[in-house]
Amino acid sequence: MKNSSSYTAVAYLFLAPALILMGIFTFWPVGYNTYLAFHDYAIADGTATWNNFEHFKYIYHEDLFHSALKNSLLYLLVVPCIQLAALVIAKLVNNKLPGMTFFRATYYIPVITAISVAGVAWAFVYKYDGMLNGFLTWVSHFIGYHSGFERVEIDWIGNPDIAIYSVMVFTFWKGLGYYMVLYLAGLQAIPTEVEEAAILDGANAWDRFWKITVPMVKPTILLCTLLSTIAAMKAFQEVIVLTKGQSDTYTALFYVYDQAFRNYNFGRAAAAGLVVTFFCMILAIIQFRFFGDKK
Amino acid sequence: MKLKKMLTVGAAVFGLGLFAAQAQAADKVKLEFWTMNLAPKFDPYFKQAVTKFNAANPTLEAVWVDMNWDQIQPKLIASLAAGNPPALVNFNVPWVHEFAAQGNIIPLDQYLGADKAIYSTQALADVTVKGKVYAFPWYNSVSILAYNKTIFDKAGVKVDQLKSFDALLAAAKQINEKTGVDGFAPKMSDPIGMFYYLGLPVVENGKAVFNSPKHVAAVQKFADLYKAGAIPKDIFKMAFEQEIAAYNSGKIAMMTTAPQALKRTETDAKAVYDVTGVAQFPLDAGKMSFGAWMMDFVVPKGFKNPADAAKLGKFLTGDEQQLLFAKATETTFPTTKKANLDPYFQAGANSKDPIEQARAVAAKAMDGARTLTLTPGTLTDEAAATKVLADNFQAAVEGRKPVKEALDAAVAVWNTKIAK
Repeated sequence: MKNSSSYTAVAYLFLAPALILMGIFTFWPVGYNTYLAFHDYAIADGTATWNNFEHFKYIYHEDLFHSALKNSLLYLLVVPCIQLAALVIAKLVNNKLPGMTFFRATYYIPVITAISVAGVAWAFVYKYDGMLNGFLTWVSHFIGYHSGFERVEIDWIGNPDIAIYSVMVFTFWKGLGYYMVLYLAGLQAIPTEVEEAAILDGANAWDRFWKITVPMVKPTILLCTLLSTIAAMKAFQEVIVLTKGQSDTYTALFYVYDQAFRNYNFGRAAAAGLVVTFFCMILAIIQFRFFGDKK
Repeated sequence: MKLKKMLTVGAAVFGLGLFAAQAQAADKVKLEFWTMNLAPKFDPYFKQAVTKFNAANPTLEAVWVDMNWDQIQPKLIASLAAGNPPALVNFNVPWVHEFAAQGNIIPLDQYLGADKAIYSTQALADVTVKGKVYAFPWYNSVSILAYNKTIFDKAGVKVDQLKSFDALLAAAKQINEKTGVDGFAPKMSDPIGMFYYLGLPVVENGKAVFNSPKHVAAVQKFADLYKAGAIPKDIFKMAFEQEIAAYNSGKIAMMTTAPQALKRTETDAKAVYDVTGVAQFPLDAGKMSFGAWMMDFVVPKGFKNPADAAKLGKFLTGDEQQLLFAKATETTFPTTKKANLDPYFQAGANSKDPIEQARAVAAKAMDGARTLTLTPGTLTDEAAATKVLADNFQAAVEGRKPVKEALDAAVAVWNTKIAK
């Protein structure tokens, strides 16, 4: 007979490989980042000198960081859109119809496409003489809004008023398939009897979606919303490939990157990173309140 | 027992061999020199250079190490801290100023001596900090102007009239009015470099000064050009690749770029290549050739035999080796006066082939090749300051903000970030 303490030991033993890796690649960097945020780090000799809250004071007064943070928070608009769309699409491709695998695969392709490659392709879509404007020109000629050689010339990623939304559309396209797959897994865990019973009771598709599907995939919604919120706050790659931070698309992590790798000011970069983490945590708490199980 | 004996003998022999090898190596001074991003393409060049140097200097041993440009600084810093820096390191100009200010590289005047005279004046000026030369000037490149003769003819623009930057802007406008094609796509991502080219100061006496009437007038010219449609609408998105693509597809009449870009035109757009002419990019008030970016060698502080390091530095950047290297790259140019006059560069001056012409034109422009950048350490937060300036410059050129207002806003931010 094994006693409970040896069970615990065995459990930790099994956890150890993952914990060690997480420790090295997650907890240690987070801890060291926090340490750096309160220090001046000299890259030349690797020394860190304590400087209190100086970095935080600096970024508190830094307009560029404020606008970057504003853009990152604005980026959260993509979260509800992508979640709703992913859930609806997951519901659609969850039907047992011929050709469904094709659609599932198609929606997933953007997820596995390298962001740099996708960025180049989307830059062509968004160019002022690119595909999107070409298509819109065709449509506007078709409906008679434009005539002759008139063209639609919207600078999708060059106009500061709309550039960030264009970048969000790219994020939406790129991430949709990922959340769709997660929702698909959640949907397939719903017993068919529940849905069948609702049909017998005369519930229509709309009611079934909101009263059965949504409540039953709530844990998945929490997970997906959390993941996409963090991803939105961390928006950086899509910005660097599409706009390089021009046209008011400079995000908080872009600021972190610039401070670290253009200024070599790792302390200030760490402080800015910590502020982003702080916002992520607040948002996570809010989401747990909304979608988490109430005990 | 036997095994033990064998092991003892083996260890003794091995130890002796090691000692002998070390003793032999100790006779020679090892001169490691680091370059950035030149292997494996230029292996043959460096192999001959190393062999030649080592043969001529039996007591020295040059060793070539190539690395990615972003590894150079961290590795150098680590080696400085460990007390075993290499003999020579390939730097760009801003790094020379940065490291000279920190005192991590040594002045070379005493080692250069009379050999200083072989380098072009501008090249030496680039690496002179507080009156002392801190690097051996190496290779460089400048922008030239390639133009589409067919479009020029249609617009009635003569290449001879492009003698100043203003004339270039006027030509761009004329081309656009007459043909509908954009004139050219000047690089807009670096307003600081643009100001220097135009001979306008950026920071003076600890204050940002780029909102003077002269600066405003200069930026206003770009804004007018943009408004007139004489430069591409997405000019701020255009880099090296996009400019070549636009020129190759006939969307712009002139390309302001390094001579090597013409190779792309030759292979990708033969029809355009066949009607391409080449001219020198006009000098402006800054009296500097456009688009220079010089490479050089520095001697890190703490290297034990600086005189030997300098010997290698002078060898690698001397007339003979610079010429060989330029021939190997086909697109870069020496920074020594004599090497640039070599028939290799000038043979193409009257050639029909644009690439050969470009080589001759660029070699001639090397006299004005200066790599001017903001002195490192001027700003406390360079990333943020340059970003603010670039954003305001873009807003001004694209007509979203009055020029004066945009430059004032950037100056205000800069003045809070200039190191006191």
